[in-house]
Amino acid sequence: MSDPNEARTASAQHLPGEAGVWMFIVGDLVIFTLLFAVFLYYRADNVPLFTESQRTLNQTYGAVNTLLLLSSSWFVALAVQGARIGERLNALRLIALAFGCGVGFIGIKYFEYSEKFRAGYNIVTNDFFMYYFLTTGIHLVHVVIGMAVLAFLWHTTRGGEIDAGELSTLESGASFWHLVDILWIALFALLYMLR
Amino acid sequence: MWCGLYSNDNAVVDINGTIGELKMNIRAQMFCVWSGLGFALLFLVAIWPTADFMPPLAPSLSADAIAEIYRSNTLSIRFGALLMMAASGLMCPFVAVITIQMQRIEGSPPILSYAQLSAGTLNVVFFILPSLIWTIAAFRPERDPQLTLMLNDFAWIVFLMPFTTFIVQNFVFGITVLSDKRERPIFPRWLGYFNFWVAVLFIPGGLLTFFKLGPFAWNGLFVWWIPFSVFLAWYIVMFTMLRAAVSQQAIDEEGSAPA
Repeated sequence: MSDPNEARTASAQHLPGEAGVWMFIVGDLVIFTLLFAVFLYYRADNVPLFTESQRTLNQTYGAVNTLLLLSSSWFVALAVQGARIGERLNALRLIALAFGCGVGFIGIKYFEYSEKFRAGYNIVTNDFFMYYFLTTGIHLVHVVIGMAVLAFLWHTTRGGEIDAGELSTLESGASFWHLVDILWIALFALLYMLR
Repeated sequence: MWCGLYSNDNAVVDINGTIGELKMNIRAQMFCVWSGLGFALLFLVAIWPTADFMPPLAPSLSADAIAEIYRSNTLSIRFGALLMMAASGLMCPFVAVITIQMQRIEGSPPILSYAQLSAGTLNVVFFILPSLIWTIAAFRPERDPQLTLMLNDFAWIVFLMPFTTFIVQNFVFGITVLSDKRERPIFPRWLGYFNFWVAVLFIPGGLLTFFKLGPFAWNGLFVWWIPFSVFLAWYIVMFTMLRAAVSQQAIDEEGSAPA
């Protein structure tokens, strides 16, 4: 959301969305940071187990999901830019696209989880799989909430000309969706890539 | 509903009578606000210095170890449970004043206020019930350790697992705060987002069913330490904000702050 035109016109301190949303986002980031710290702490205790379990993960699923969320973040950012200059229909289409990426993400997670269950891995298999299922599961809850937010944004945008209050709502919702994206990127790095 | 006092069809009410009733109402609301703080303090005293449940009795302990704790701390666990049960009742007035202030935002019909009322009321159960079960466990500490172990599991799981009504209470309250369209809202908007955040933090409680060790066991970081601290912080934040809201209501509608 770093539109150069916006930066020139708006004040230098413009915070997208309302301040309260950022309180929630920072609060959520604090909790996930703790979760990541706990993961790394237990991983340091038993690195061989963690790397060996990590090898069973399907990196393609993880990578495709990263791409999906990154694109959806981009769509949402474009939608906000469009809404700022009154391109309402374009914004609607972009929000729907972002929502579609969310559906794709959940679909892939479904295949990924069922593959793991079939292979006999579950939440109590070992410490790695406990964190794998818990962190991705809590993140999945965020994806679902984020999609509800996107649906709400779509509904708001559809209702007619966008006023300043609705634009702020749009920015707030978009910021939450970016949070969902950034958390996944951290998860992807920690669970799938960390050697 | 007390709002009826100010509706047009009550214009015939004697003005002094109306102000008198309003004063009573504000005073009653203030009592309810303070009872929330009273609950939080008594609950903390009950669970920490009295029953010595800080940190909680670990789910990984053996039956003999648990039975030994109940045998050697019998009186303190009985007192702690008694105090916690006594404190739990104070949650009810607090839920009531939240409901009334939500109604001011919602108008009629106050559907989310009622959702909050029912969820908040149910939450009381998850404080009274574990204190009863701890009482039962400490009632005959000489019994078979396996039975004491079962009662101990029973109490802690009833106490820490039920996240669903807490989430509903925080969520509907947050939504209502954000829906306040008046120029000077009854609650600051950040309080709505703060409640969403608190709601998210209660989710991991449900995970205790899978673990006896680690951060998701009932004595772990994400099931005990974070939700417990945030729960107490929620009471203090809500106390402060409700107190401000009721004071403001008194100023707006009567022209003077309550004593």
